Amino acid sequence: MISDSWSLSLSVFLSLSLTCLCLPVVILLSVLCLGVSSQPITDSQYLFSIAVSRVQNLHLLAQRLFSNFESTLQTDDQHQLNKIFLQDFCNSDYIISPIDKHETQRSSVLKLLSISYRLVESWEFSSRSLTGGSALRNQISPRLSELKTGIQMLITANQDGAEMFPDSTALQLAPYGNFYQSLGDDELLRRNYELLACFKKDMHKVETYLTVAKCRFSPEMNCTL
Amino acid sequence: MKEVMEEAVLLFLLLVIYTPDAQGTRYSPPGKPELTRCRSPEKETFTCWWKPGSDGGLPTTHALYYRKENSDTIYECSDYHTAGENSCFFNKNDTSIWVNYNITVVASNALGSTFSDPVDIDVVYIVKPNPPEKVTVTVMELKEWPFLRVSWEPPHKADTRSGWITLIYELRVKLEGDDEWEMHLAGQQKLFNIFSLRSGGTYHVQVRCKPDHGFWSEWSSTSHIEIPDYLHREKSMWILIAVFSAFIFLILTWSLHMSSHSLKHCILPPVPGPKIKGFDKQLLKNGKSEDLLRVLVVSDFPPTTPSNYEDMLVEYLEVYVPQEQEVLLEESKDLHDSCLKFEGSTSDNDSGRVSCDSHTLLMDKCGEAKEEGRQTDQEDSTTEAEAQGQQKDWDQDTLMYANGDILSPEKSSGRVKTWPSVFSPLPQYTLSLPDQTSSLEMAKQHCYSDSLFCPGSTSSYLTHLGNNDNETLGPGSWEICLSNRQPYSHIPQMQTCQQVRSHSDVNISTIARKQEPAGLPLPFFRPTAYVEVQRFDEEDMVVLQSIVSDHGFHEGFPQMLQQEDYSKVKGVDSNNMLLLQTEAMKEDGDGCRCQDQVTNGVTESSCTLSISTTPHKPTAHIHTVVSTQDEMAQPASGYVDTATIFTLPTY
Repeated sequence: MISDSWSLSLSVFLSLSLTCLCLPVVILLSVLCLGVSSQPITDSQYLFSIAVSRVQNLHLLAQRLFSNFESTLQTDDQHQLNKIFLQDFCNSDYIISPIDKHETQRSSVLKLLSISYRLVESWEFSSRSLTGGSALRNQISPRLSELKTGIQMLITANQDGAEMFPDSTALQLAPYGNFYQSLGDDELLRRNYELLACFKKDMHKVETYLTVAKCRFSPEMNCTL
Repeated sequence: MKEVMEEAVLLFLLLVIYTPDAQGTRYSPPGKPELTRCRSPEKETFTCWWKPGSDGGLPTTHALYYRKENSDTIYECSDYHTAGENSCFFNKNDTSIWVNYNITVVASNALGSTFSDPVDIDVVYIVKPNPPEKVTVTVMELKEWPFLRVSWEPPHKADTRSGWITLIYELRVKLEGDDEWEMHLAGQQKLFNIFSLRSGGTYHVQVRCKPDHGFWSEWSSTSHIEIPDYLHREKSMWILIAVFSAFIFLILTWSLHMSSHSLKHCILPPVPGPKIKGFDKQLLKNGKSEDLLRVLVVSDFPPTTPSNYEDMLVEYLEVYVPQEQEVLLEESKDLHDSCLKFEGSTSDNDSGRVSCDSHTLLMDKCGEAKEEGRQTDQEDSTTEAEAQGQQKDWDQDTLMYANGDILSPEKSSGRVKTWPSVFSPLPQYTLSLPDQTSSLEMAKQHCYSDSLFCPGSTSSYLTHLGNNDNETLGPGSWEICLSNRQPYSHIPQMQTCQQVRSHSDVNISTIARKQEPAGLPLPFFRPTAYVEVQRFDEEDMVVLQSIVSDHGFHEGFPQMLQQEDYSKVKGVDSNNMLLLQTEAMKEDGDGCRCQDQVTNGVTESSCTLSISTTPHKPTAHIHTVVSTQDEMAQPASGYVDTATIFTLPTY
């Protein structure tokens, strides 16, 4: 046992000394060789990772909001609302997005990114009108803004000359807000339910799109391993 | 009539048609089916299962219809077989994600159809993947400590590669015979190491997975693995550790043993306790006074050798009031001749002091019948108390005290029992003042007696003093017994005030009990500063020294020993305190201050000598002269040791 420990310590010492001696050289070489070419990839990978994690967080928040709201409802209301929700009232339905894997796989990374961007943008301001805990609600809007910025950066990094979706397709949300204000109590309940459900769904969409885009962009990032 | 007949026939026909036949089968429309669950294994397809209701006795078919959100088109399930019976399989073309499906199942037979309750689902939220596949478990050797490496693959249908579905994994491990599994969350990795294995054991391993928003899959099939035996290496190490710790333990034990004595002193310092020589606490607890007295009487009593008086220091407070005015307080140290000399002191004009020396009293009384003497003594005391001659009274009193019955159980009752150990170093003053004269008679019963003092003696003594009339004896009055055996100049004022004595009777007992060390019940105990009779100086003056609290001698007083040596009893205040005045104030009150300060308000015109033992009484200063210096030292040790008996120096 003692001899083993001695040898172990000796080896550690040797490795450390080697590292200390060679470290500057190694760093220099790595910077020279890998620095420029890998930089955009590294950045994009980094951005993708961050974007995916952020949207996952937002989706969890949306889930929590929705479940909180549902728990406050009576069971009758729940049934009714489920039925009502069948008619899609989601704000973001105008945004055409792939609804199955095949379509998603067919879409390019850039398309996915742009769709995600639009989805996030559509909720950036209307998320303030979501019911639920104010603590949760107040976190959503800034996070959406940050996510939007990240996606924007990703789009820019990935454009490489490809056409970019015009930002002008993002519709204004003022009518949505007005409509919201004019509702009565029952309608208000229904509206809140729809808002929360739609928000949850959209966040999941963005999460899926970003994840697929990330894996397609750099397959080695936790997608195959 | 005819119409009625026709109707009846019609009814009959209807009944015949619609009544069930003899076998009891009834045909009815089918029961309501129920959609039990819908699941998607990979977020690309999904399946719904339903439970059919009763079939109504007829062949029933089921159909599933669904409607997607955004459209009113009703579709029917296209695949009823892939997923088994009572199921509908939605293939990739039919499956849309993030779209609400409204699904209904219809059961129909010849008689009708029944619709189930519709169910809304979104495929994204019904994902339950298949279990992970290709679970492999291997034992990896890391020096002497092997560990398990578990690896697996995601279910083949789930497309994690493209990122369409993200799975997290969990595995559980248990030993072969155990009931409880050990869970490990592995996250998104497909590899996991398990450490801390039992050598030679067999482990079961299972893995399952879950999409980030969905349901956990079923557990994979169990993988078994056996750990090789590596215990021998463990054993040698444990042996080493055991030997080492045993060695250390031996060293510690030895060192503790060596220093046990000093440690014991350090940790458990000796607790001073009451020491009454020859006194058995157990007897006291038994509550038998006779036994107790016997013990006290027998054991070491009276002390035959002067050298014992260190143990049996009983301090007597002798209050001597020469010429009517003075109260002498004296400590008696010598107990030998107490009783005898006491008797002989009747002729001593000076003494007038009756010592509460237990020895004397006991010696005299032990031989006498207690009960008989009691009565007579009481009578004697009373009669003598009324006698005019101070000396005579006093002598008689002293005689009485000497001869008096020790015990008056009836009167003292509980007091008797508590008496023995009561004689703590407290001076108990009994004041008895003649009405007419200012002479004060103070008998100090400053008896420190442990076993030397017969408990009954004091109480009987008290009872002598006590009135025959049943006054409520205030707890405040003092009674001072004079030390016994010396030829004391009797306190001229032998006319003890009845009341006072009676008071003191109670008081003494109460006072005596005050400082009871052994926790005996003391009804009226009041701690005060007491004065002890230090000695009897040439002028037959009892020098008092105040005792601060329970023990010890007041430090400041010794200086005053030579300066002021008399004290006049000024009165007894409500605190059971004998207020004494210095001689300087002697001229103020000639004779006794006829103060009616008997506590309890019994204020016959009895002059009471008050010896104030509290330092804050400026007028009374009490000198106490230590007859022997060394005896003084002992009580000052702080022990609740009542075995200090001071014998008065002989005159």
